[in-house]
Amino acid sequence: MEQPNSLLLEMQNGSEKAFSKIYSLYSEAILGVIYTIVQDQDVAEEVLQDVFVKVWNNSKSYNIEKGRFFTWVLNIARNASIDSVRSKAYKNSKKNLSTSNFVDILSGSDTLNQKTNAIGIKKFVDALKPACVKIIDLLFFKGYTQVDAAEALKIPLGTLKTRNRNCIQDLRIKVLG
Amino acid sequence: MTAEEIIASGKLELYITGSLPSEEISEIEDAIATYPEVREEVETIEAALINLAESVAPPLPAMVWTYVLNSIKKIRNIDGTASNKTNWAAMSGWAAAILCFAGIFWMLKQNNDLNKSIQITNIQNTQLKEKVNLTEGELTKQNNLLSVIRSKDFNTITLPGNQAVAPDAYAKVYYNKAENIAYIDANGLPTPPSGKVYQVWSLTLDPLTPTSMGLLEAVTDADKGVHKFENIPTPEAFGITLEPAGGSTTPTLSQLYTLGMVTAAP
Repeated sequence: MEQPNSLLLEMQNGSEKAFSKIYSLYSEAILGVIYTIVQDQDVAEEVLQDVFVKVWNNSKSYNIEKGRFFTWVLNIARNASIDSVRSKAYKNSKKNLSTSNFVDILSGSDTLNQKTNAIGIKKFVDALKPACVKIIDLLFFKGYTQVDAAEALKIPLGTLKTRNRNCIQDLRIKVLG
Repeated sequence: MTAEEIIASGKLELYITGSLPSEEISEIEDAIATYPEVREEVETIEAALINLAESVAPPLPAMVWTYVLNSIKKIRNIDGTASNKTNWAAMSGWAAAILCFAGIFWMLKQNNDLNKSIQITNIQNTQLKEKVNLTEGELTKQNNLLSVIRSKDFNTITLPGNQAVAPDAYAKVYYNKAENIAYIDANGLPTPPSGKVYQVWSLTLDPLTPTSMGLLEAVTDADKGVHKFENIPTPEAFGITLEPAGGSTTPTLSQLYTLGMVTAAP
């Protein structure tokens, strides 16, 4: 996806209209990431709301020439989700930081959005190699650094890079055609 | 590194998920800026990941965007000029209310003042009407008197002062023989001392017979010292004497102020 740089610039200059378009481009993916961490629909919506308020308030600290906007929002979303999981309010709701990953969510949930069913991604992701599921879960959804992920999976850094690339390659072919 | 090497290295995937150490990021950014195929590869990887993330997202209620919008507007109101704006609105509202009240009070006061001045004007009108009535009455009297003086039916007789008693005194008589009416103008007589009064006499000369016509009193006053007498006996002369209050039956000749003969009838 080509990054909508002109919209981003307008948003940085205070355009609510541009911000609204940015929201519709990224909010669903960000919600997916948040949901895999907090594992609660209401909490995920609250976190998403906080994330986009932060995006608006700190939009000027994002630099178009330094990194992808999606990566920038992804970082904010993962940090906010982890904060939320650790917060007392969340502990009171008797849920612990779950070890389940995005595939568990896909196979365990029946409230998924219609788009997922239409694309048929559920079937495919279910068939992803278990190694791919783990590596994508840690690097993309949980925000591990490459070093931390290599350690957690007990594989060399070079292997991690190659395997991650191959897994995403598989995903691309299936998802984007 | 060539574009192919960078694409094959697996670093682009890590760059997008934010897993790359900061020292390797600048290398990727240089490559993105240099090679269009690297930028395209980054966009494709990002699109795949976005699709994956979207597929695990629960349904997204539209209310979330409403909350976001409300939050960013609230923040703007706290530090922005919007709060001042609401103050202005409230202040102008109060100002309008105060002006309104002041206006009402001012108009009530005006109304009161106008009512008062109407009352005053009414009183003045009444006074003026009375004055007009009075003046009209006087005018009628004077017109009557004037018509008497001008009339050919009235004979004018001047009664000169008695040299012995009051040399400067005089009186004028307007006498209508046909109707037996006489008007006596006592303007030329001095003011009578207290307890005294002037009495008018009708005289016949042969023999000398005085008959009282009446007193120069307020009762007989027609207008401004002109006294009217009616049904008088036919006189040959008129005389005026000073008498004690209430008058006398016969004239006190020592106090005869004026005396005049009736000349030829008109």
